Amino acid sequence: MVLLSRHPWFAASILVVPLLTLAAPAWPRLSGVGPCWAILWLLPWALADGRRSGVLAGATLGLLLDSLHRGGVSEMPAMMLLGWWWGRIGRLGAPVERSFSLGLLALLGTVVLDLSLMLQWALRSGLGAGSSLPGGAIDPAPLAQPGWHLHDLAGSGLKVLLARTLLTALLAPVLCSLQLLLWRQQGGGLGRR
Amino acid sequence: MPARRWLRSLALPSLLQAWPWLLVALALLGVRLSKGAGLSDAYAQLSRPFWPGTAQAEWLRSARRFEDTARIAALEADNARLRGLIGLQQASPKRLTAPVIAREPAGWWQTLLLGRGSLQGVAEGQAVLAPGGLIGLVGAVTPGTARVTLLTDPASRVGVWVGRTRHHGLLTGLGTPRPVVRFLEKDPGVVPGDVVTTSPASTLVPPDLPVGVIQTVDAVADPAPEAVVQLAAPVGSVDWVQLLAR
Repeated sequence: MVLLSRHPWFAASILVVPLLTLAAPAWPRLSGVGPCWAILWLLPWALADGRRSGVLAGATLGLLLDSLHRGGVSEMPAMMLLGWWWGRIGRLGAPVERSFSLGLLALLGTVVLDLSLMLQWALRSGLGAGSSLPGGAIDPAPLAQPGWHLHDLAGSGLKVLLARTLLTALLAPVLCSLQLLLWRQQGGGLGRR
Repeated sequence: MPARRWLRSLALPSLLQAWPWLLVALALLGVRLSKGAGLSDAYAQLSRPFWPGTAQAEWLRSARRFEDTARIAALEADNARLRGLIGLQQASPKRLTAPVIAREPAGWWQTLLLGRGSLQGVAEGQAVLAPGGLIGLVGAVTPGTARVTLLTDPASRVGVWVGRTRHHGLLTGLGTPRPVVRFLEKDPGVVPGDVVTTSPASTLVPPDLPVGVIQTVDAVADPAPEAVVQLAAPVGSVDWVQLLAR
């Protein structure tokens, strides 16, 4: 948490994430789906500044991104978990620097985040979605329930997960290594806790 | 015998002298029998550089557009009067134009962010139109912006109507560029090419707004028959939209 306590204004760079999410630049897209900017910011920050700072940053990012979207699901739990995990990795073993390692961590992080969203939608849609009334009549209630349903998650939902994961993992070695270098130059990664 | 010899001596030289005129007469006869085909075709080839060009075609199209606009205005006025008589919602409410300042047409959420908010009179639930038809409903409003839930978003549910068969359905986003209509009848009788609009009796969205065209039909889908709809409005490339007050 050295970075956050010594240079708290660096944390303001977190605002780039919702701005990029809103701007949704057209060039980094795979099948129309953009990368997960939150993962690309959180990974180097948590690696450089430890568990507590990672959890705080994850919670902040989760709150910011949840405010941009509707639908009753939250990114906050997964972001906090990832912040804690990456902060722990950054403090325990040798410093993570290789491009492959950064790409792999970003890939796993995006999978965890998207699976947490899919799990929440699946729980909300429930197993009753798509049921019929007795006598062969169609029950309109499950059809009218908004949000991703189980069969949509297994179809286009899986495609969104794959596209987002692949793109984030491809961008991570470039973007995360630069940020990691910057944060470490500013004193991140000094402590061993 | 002398008379026949005299005739022979007179006809042969005359025929030898008059054969070009005979050819002309035969050609004229051919033109007559073909109803002037050669003449018309020759005229067409000769006059081709002077045929009506793109300018004339554009004038005609412009006149047609003017006629269509006038007819639509007259029909809308007539429709509003008739809807007023039977107490249904008005089909032509007040419109507000708004710019698209951010878009997320693919992914977990499929939304547009508009540069008009509650300060300009935008309210939650208002229908959002692009050139072509309905593209979504306003899902959330801030003082300066409005977030549109696109028809392709899985959270979107809009009641629609197939005019040809007079069947209602629920337009549902799947997270793909084409939403589906889920019908509440087992046999909706729709076919590819049928036009989908908002319901004429709708109270949640303005009635009779064009939505799209049915592309494929799955009549044995469980639990309800469904049809894939190609939206009429190009959602991915729209820069300005119109908001309809409810």
